[in-house]
Amino acid sequence: MATISTQLRNFKEPTKEQLTQLFFSLPPEPLYNGDPSTPDKGMGELEKMEISAMLTVSGEEPCTGKLYLIPPYLAFASLDRKSVRFTIPLCTIRKVERLSARAGVYALGLSLWHQMKIIVQLTALRPTADLFCSLLRDALKSELQRGQMKAVKGFVNTCYSEVMVSLDDSKDGPATKSDEHTESMYLGGLGLKFKFPGDPKKLREASKTKLWISYLKTHGRNLTLLRFPQCTRLVQVGLPNRLRGEMWETLSGSVYLRFANPGEYERILEQNKGRTSTSTEEIEKDLHRSLPEYSAYQSDVGIAALRRVLQAYSFKNPETGYCQAMNILAAAILIYMSEEQAFWLLEVICDRLLPGYYSTSMHGTLLDQRVFESLVHRCLPVIHDHFQQVDVQLSVASLPWFLSLFINSMPMVFAFRIIDCFFCMGPKVLFQVASDNTAILKINGEKLLQIQDDGGFIHLMREYFASLGDSAHPDSPDPRARAITRFQELLLVSFREFAVITDDTILSERRKFRSEVVHSIESFSKRSAIRNLKTLERFNKDQAGLIYDALFKAICIIPPPAVSLPPPTLLTTKEATEERPETRIELRTFKVFLSEICTWARTEKVVSNGFQQRVDREVADHELIDRLFYFWDTAYRGALSFQDLVSGLDGVMFNDLMENIEWFFNLHDKNKDGFLSKDEVLTLCESLLFIFRFEIGDAYLGAVSRFMSNAFEYGDALLPAKEGPNGEEELPQIESNQPYINLATFRMVVLADEILESFFETDFSATFKLEPVPMMEIPNSNNGILGGLWSNIASDDNRKIFHKFTDEIGKSIGKHQILYRPAIGKFTTLEEPKARESLLTPTMRRSASKASLSATDSSTSISVATSQLSQLNVDLDASTTSLPSSIFSPVPPMLQAANAVAFMERTPFAIDDAKDDDEESEDGSEFEDGVMDEVDAFIEAHDTGLTEAERELAKDLINAEPVK
Amino acid sequence: MADAASGSTDRSVQVKLVLLGEAAVGKSSVVLRFVSNEFQANKEPTIGAAFLTQKCRLEDRVLRYEIWDTAGQERFHSLAPMYYRNAQAAVVVYDVTKASSLEKAKTWVKELQRQANPNIVIALAGNKIDLVQPSSSSSSTPSSPEPEDEADDATATPGENAGDGEGESLRQVPREEAEAYAQEAGLLFFETSAKTGEGIVEIFTEIAKKIPIDQILASSRGGANRAGAAGGRAAGQEGGVNLDENAGKGKDACNC
Repeated sequence: MATISTQLRNFKEPTKEQLTQLFFSLPPEPLYNGDPSTPDKGMGELEKMEISAMLTVSGEEPCTGKLYLIPPYLAFASLDRKSVRFTIPLCTIRKVERLSARAGVYALGLSLWHQMKIIVQLTALRPTADLFCSLLRDALKSELQRGQMKAVKGFVNTCYSEVMVSLDDSKDGPATKSDEHTESMYLGGLGLKFKFPGDPKKLREASKTKLWISYLKTHGRNLTLLRFPQCTRLVQVGLPNRLRGEMWETLSGSVYLRFANPGEYERILEQNKGRTSTSTEEIEKDLHRSLPEYSAYQSDVGIAALRRVLQAYSFKNPETGYCQAMNILAAAILIYMSEEQAFWLLEVICDRLLPGYYSTSMHGTLLDQRVFESLVHRCLPVIHDHFQQVDVQLSVASLPWFLSLFINSMPMVFAFRIIDCFFCMGPKVLFQVASDNTAILKINGEKLLQIQDDGGFIHLMREYFASLGDSAHPDSPDPRARAITRFQELLLVSFREFAVITDDTILSERRKFRSEVVHSIESFSKRSAIRNLKTLERFNKDQAGLIYDALFKAICIIPPPAVSLPPPTLLTTKEATEERPETRIELRTFKVFLSEICTWARTEKVVSNGFQQRVDREVADHELIDRLFYFWDTAYRGALSFQDLVSGLDGVMFNDLMENIEWFFNLHDKNKDGFLSKDEVLTLCESLLFIFRFEIGDAYLGAVSRFMSNAFEYGDALLPAKEGPNGEEELPQIESNQPYINLATFRMVVLADEILESFFETDFSATFKLEPVPMMEIPNSNNGILGGLWSNIASDDNRKIFHKFTDEIGKSIGKHQILYRPAIGKFTTLEEPKARESLLTPTMRRSASKASLSATDSSTSISVATSQLSQLNVDLDASTTSLPSSIFSPVPPMLQAANAVAFMERTPFAIDDAKDDDEESEDGSEFEDGVMDEVDAFIEAHDTGLTEAERELAKDLINAEPVK
Repeated sequence: MADAASGSTDRSVQVKLVLLGEAAVGKSSVVLRFVSNEFQANKEPTIGAAFLTQKCRLEDRVLRYEIWDTAGQERFHSLAPMYYRNAQAAVVVYDVTKASSLEKAKTWVKELQRQANPNIVIALAGNKIDLVQPSSSSSSTPSSPEPEDEADDATATPGENAGDGEGESLRQVPREEAEAYAQEAGLLFFETSAKTGEGIVEIFTEIAKKIPIDQILASSRGGANRAGAAGGRAAGQEGGVNLDENAGKGKDACNC
């Protein structure tokens, strides 16, 4: 694995708002806002709101719950959050009326596109209800301006349910001419042409269809479907084949994506026409291997459709690309839906329903396997214990279930019924069914005890799946009991016995195991990365691990560009052609990396302000670092791989005096001609000064200036002297970019100076230290809301604010000090060292510095650091920073300290305040019937679907008159 | 044919074997040929891993191969340790018509040698030689039972048609090169064709010969095998998907 991913670190627990959006299957917001075709300014400003409400629909019991305005959607969920719910785009609302009923009742009548009327009674205080109405009005207005209302008609015609209902209507009345026309417009899957799997008679298609028609007539369909318990029940008995695709789309919410992004699918394909990538290659390999027994995939029609859908997905999501199992999913859903529908459904599956399942690290899969294991432990302790005892891993069998939604494990007709439930009730279905599969073994205790290993377990599961169509009670005298198949029993038991497995359980279990799984993935890729190094050079594995850690941290801070194969260039070498994608870091990331390892590549300020002492570490920036980057980039790619870094560090960390001098020389010999030009000598001096920038005293400064004068003296002396016209020796003239001094001269000049000699002998190599990188925490909020809150407060930004604040106080009480930590830190006093003054002999110093190569646990603590700090800097800082503030601050220190405490405590309140503000911003936005009516009038003008009689009927239903 | 999960009661020696290799080199086809002597042109990609068993007679002993056929796509790599833990044998497959697949095979070998059971017997198999043999390529035999399948193995390197031209030109991995590598790394080596069946049984026979059967017998007879394995596991983590499986076991597994 040559790629290093920090993606897992970017995970954030979903906020409450996001959870609500997930619950209602709403598309993520960026997609909605980011659509270039709709310049919807102000859409982000539309406010969301939730309000308690009672929902009344004709033919159903009234139901209490919550109404959510999440522009551009209106959603409702009953209190139990499962029996009744809907998500409807605002643009399908044709009319909103305030209903006059008994005093104190605040009810709205919503007329929807599909000629139904729903009544929501807002059971909140009047001002809140007023606010809700005004927000609803704003949102409706905005939808109107975006022209979404007009899009509805064309869109619903692509849905089969419309045909289904209108066909049924025309059976009763005279057939209308438009029927033929509409039928040709709806989208459908390959099954229409290649037949659907299963025997329609056995599946009782006709009666299922009938039931659905009557439900869809009264409860809306596609965009406006209202989900009452009957809907879930109908899904559980299996969707009729022709309706299946559309219902999947509606239940999973992918229909909203398709609605919000018309033409996007075609556009993606068009824009990427002819493009190839690793993903497209992998897709090609699998096209003929996706449900090959289904006739459509033995023909070009099916294969082409499958190719387009998978490619479009990989182009849209280059990070995920293509993962095996997606081909099986896509092939399965394409039987029931068109390419465009399948594309969006795949998006919803991969992105929302099974997050991270198909990513390159497959962390979602691994996490959910861990969760599943834990659920089995909880629900079926006996089985768990037995498996534990005989060392059977559940996931060897269950992993494919989850990855390919049982399609590969069960006979297809049964798998599709599980998928029906999956889209309707969410991912928990997979866990319930999987648990139940495992539970089946419990019933058959004898067989269970025979399971001694993974293989036996898999065999048993396979036999069980193959027998799903058999009778569950073959010996029962009751013919009805005999007719119950094992599959029916499986579903029944799944939903009854494992109802304890809820979405919340899964969410909290995922939270619990996330960091564990992330950690094991990361340590696995670390081990592979180290194993895949072409050479460890002179490092051992632990040291390579430390280099990896530093690299990983740098990548976390400044992510490298997306991993891709290098574009073909003229310089393509033999090696490059067969190479697999590899993470390479650019200069910006390299600076961070180097700052972790090399003392002069960072600027460390030790700040003490009387309250705290801390080390602020900044990434340094100097031409020397850029130079090093390109020096190590031996393949001229403009980016460094892990191997490049290991080899590069090897080139400097094990050097002795002569090697270091040569290395430094080569680093500055840009054209590699074996000579430094005058310019390069100057650059070299600058590099030295940069390294010495925080050293105490001017010993190093002196050394560099001596070096400079010596270098030019020797250099000039060694130039071939020319006889001047006057017989005098003329100073040889040489361009500043011409070869000037060679390595031997350079070496001589360096060795002429005590300090430089010792620097190159040991100190320079010692500035590179491999130390354990304080790992950044894996995002994890075990403690739920409180944990989230705390991590918000303790975020980097707030810490910075806190630091700044204490600094201010420190300055005002004259305790603020900033000390720069030197890169070498050999001299601790201002005294200029006399020649050969050092107490350490060169060999002793060498051994000391070599020791620093080995990983030590203790990074320099602050107390050690302070002892190395220069008094000079202290004085300087004290005089420049603390003086003015202490003069101008009349506030006693105690009071300021108190302020500091108050400041720390204020943060949470600040957050609360902000929330309150949101809610109170209703001032001036009173419900104005006038404006509302305007909108209504406009909508009505475009409304073609309602007849007067129907409107009357709808009104009668609730016995209420609109306010006018 | 694969026998049912009668497991530990019979007296055969159980050998856990894992198949590894790049995607679409024919791992599943090799197993299918071995287990049921069949060949499917368009075999579905393996998701996670598939499990099959086959008995194999060697002299007076019966070996029962428990074969874990793993998914080949790169991103499934991190799941592999779950399958090769405790494996006594491994077949690393590459595709003779695809040079990169041998490179991938080499990394698998490297990983197995460092991470897996130290006594693991590894075989290297260059599959799809039917595509590079002149006899089976251009001369499309009308008598073939599956005429549409000939030279139309969808898992063959895309863009290349095995049907035209002489077969040997498709070969990207010379036999000598792979053989030399196998020798150097101490692997058994075979060139195979799951389609024609060539070399398949040989792999498993040679592995059977090389496996220290007596050791396995001794350890399983004492019952210490199971208890030991379970105990070792319980002492570590609860199991599940554990990529660090080997971390606590071998001394060399710590950081490689």
